[in-house]
Amino acid sequence: MVRFIVRRLLVLLITLLAVSAATFAIPYASGGDPVRTILRSRVSDQALDPSAIAALRSELGLDRPILVQYLSWLGRAVRGDFGMSFTSRTPVDQLLGTAIGVSGTLAVIAIGLAFLAALPLGTLAAMRPGKRVDNGVTLLTQSFVAVPEYWLAPILVLVFSRYLGWLPSAGWRDPTSIILPALTLALRPMAYFTQVTRAAMSDVLASPYMTAARSRGLSGGQALLRHGLRNALLPVMTLFSLWFAGLLGGSVVVEVIFAIPGMGRLVYSAVVNHDVPLIQGGILCTVALAVLITTVTDLLYALINPAVRVRDGAV
Amino acid sequence: MRLPYRPPPTPETTGDTALEIRGLRVEFSEPGHASATPAVDGLDLTVRRGEIVALVGESGSGKTMTALSAIGLLPPGARVTGGRITLGEEDLATLPPKRMNRVRGHRLAMLFQQPKAMLDPTCTVGSQVAEPLRLHRGLSRRQARARVVELLRDVGIPEPERRASAYAHQLSGGMAQRVMIAAALAADPAMMIADEPTTALDATVQAQILRLLRHKQRESGMAVLLITHDLTIVTSIADRVAVMYAGRVVEEGSVREVFDAPEHPYTRALLKASLLQSEEGKLFAIPGSATQSRALDHGCRFQPRCPLSQDLGIAGRCSGAEPPLHTCGGEHRCRCWASEHGTELRGEAVGV
Repeated sequence: MVRFIVRRLLVLLITLLAVSAATFAIPYASGGDPVRTILRSRVSDQALDPSAIAALRSELGLDRPILVQYLSWLGRAVRGDFGMSFTSRTPVDQLLGTAIGVSGTLAVIAIGLAFLAALPLGTLAAMRPGKRVDNGVTLLTQSFVAVPEYWLAPILVLVFSRYLGWLPSAGWRDPTSIILPALTLALRPMAYFTQVTRAAMSDVLASPYMTAARSRGLSGGQALLRHGLRNALLPVMTLFSLWFAGLLGGSVVVEVIFAIPGMGRLVYSAVVNHDVPLIQGGILCTVALAVLITTVTDLLYALINPAVRVRDGAV
Repeated sequence: MRLPYRPPPTPETTGDTALEIRGLRVEFSEPGHASATPAVDGLDLTVRRGEIVALVGESGSGKTMTALSAIGLLPPGARVTGGRITLGEEDLATLPPKRMNRVRGHRLAMLFQQPKAMLDPTCTVGSQVAEPLRLHRGLSRRQARARVVELLRDVGIPEPERRASAYAHQLSGGMAQRVMIAAALAADPAMMIADEPTTALDATVQAQILRLLRHKQRESGMAVLLITHDLTIVTSIADRVAVMYAGRVVEEGSVREVFDAPEHPYTRALLKASLLQSEEGKLFAIPGSATQSRALDHGCRFQPRCPLSQDLGIAGRCSGAEPPLHTCGGEHRCRCWASEHGTELRGEAVGV
């Protein structure tokens, strides 16, 4: 197991290094000169003074060779220092810290809701294949998969804020304001989780080891809890980690609609404003988190399914 | 029209019966189809205490369905539609699910064909052997753990302490079947059903597992219903044998009686097709297939494939009514018109 973990961590490191290089290059590849953009936002005069451009360029360190810029950026990024935001003149790590906290809270709640709803629904459908419950669940999840967030969010706001007046329509300070965006974000992953749970659980329920477990005297429910869930969880976990990593990066649509100060909105505005340090820091953090979550999932997977450890030569 | 079920004449319901099946009928109902195909059709079978009875027959004869209906784990779509399965005082065919849970793994245990697939890949084998102990013997986790190690040692697993925390994929097929035997024996059942327990194993391992099974059966005095299509296994470990064809028993008796002097043409064909009686370098195959017989609703099921029926000129009788299971000496019983007519009839056909 130790060898398995070490190997996974090495892969993680290499991935992050590659990602950091790509991230660093993005603003340069996209064209547009950040120095000019910044100056234009400060000075109303459209004809920019060349000496001012040169001064700002050297102040921001953008006049050095690109490899030097990358290495010094990487050296600081490792310590969590992504420099100052060009536009707000605030350290990028502070901006990212609060935004990740917001998006993270939202992601945990949304994915948690999705998972808690999907597990019993998928299991129930798998236990009664072709029956009314199964058909109902299939119909619902297939429609939910097709529901876009920009449509669902206004409907939820109309119903729960405007007509019923139960919940705030936007904002972040009030704890109840998290409910509507979380529901909006939870619907599609819930539908996908349910479908995968149903498929995995049908396989598991028909598997020989379940019959064998019953033959030892376990009731249907006991066999399901002791032997069914663990095995059915494996495929669900993979999907779970992908969705979770995706949501951590923030959802632009939902954060804009509900006025939530999360990662999606922060990075989006950084892109619009050519705020290079913020774009780089934001993307690197998002990707690093995603890779980290995938690695943790792999480790959990190996913990639940010992056959994986053997295949990867770790026992 | 189907023949009404006729109970066999012999008095067998004595105190030494472990498992008694009478007139068992198992049907598959495909959704959308009104008609059901019986997989088992009026099966009678008795297993006495302390004996090993082999149930033989080709694929599709209903052997496995018989086993699964006894332990109450028929696959979706199949169900028992008639007959009794008596274990001790209870009829397992009508026992409520909760009480059936108390029977499985406790008084009636089961072995399966693919031992590795029968173990949950995510749980240690020890925890699975422990389940009957915890459920039926009320042992604590610690007590069960200690007992599991003893059980694993008893079935010949080396380093049982270490193997108890192994996973299915770390075991060979033979080791996995030993684990399954340990789990089946854990709660000391009076009856065990073994459905082709050695079919998926190497020949040498097969012999070891059979020896272990025989040894354990002698030691505990439990009854075993061994389902197999391999007649060499029958001669090596069974006391009695029942031959099944198209959902019913067509011949039964002690292994010596049946194999030394088979009465039913199907049994003879099976023996001829097996390694026990094959001529050098040649294997005999029974012409036709068992599916031909499924569609029949009157007459002898084997008639379409029977060589004797034509040779003796009694085809009319054979296709007209199904022969009863009649006694042909000792415990030996057979379901064949030619056999009932006695040796003179057969003498004409064979002796000329």
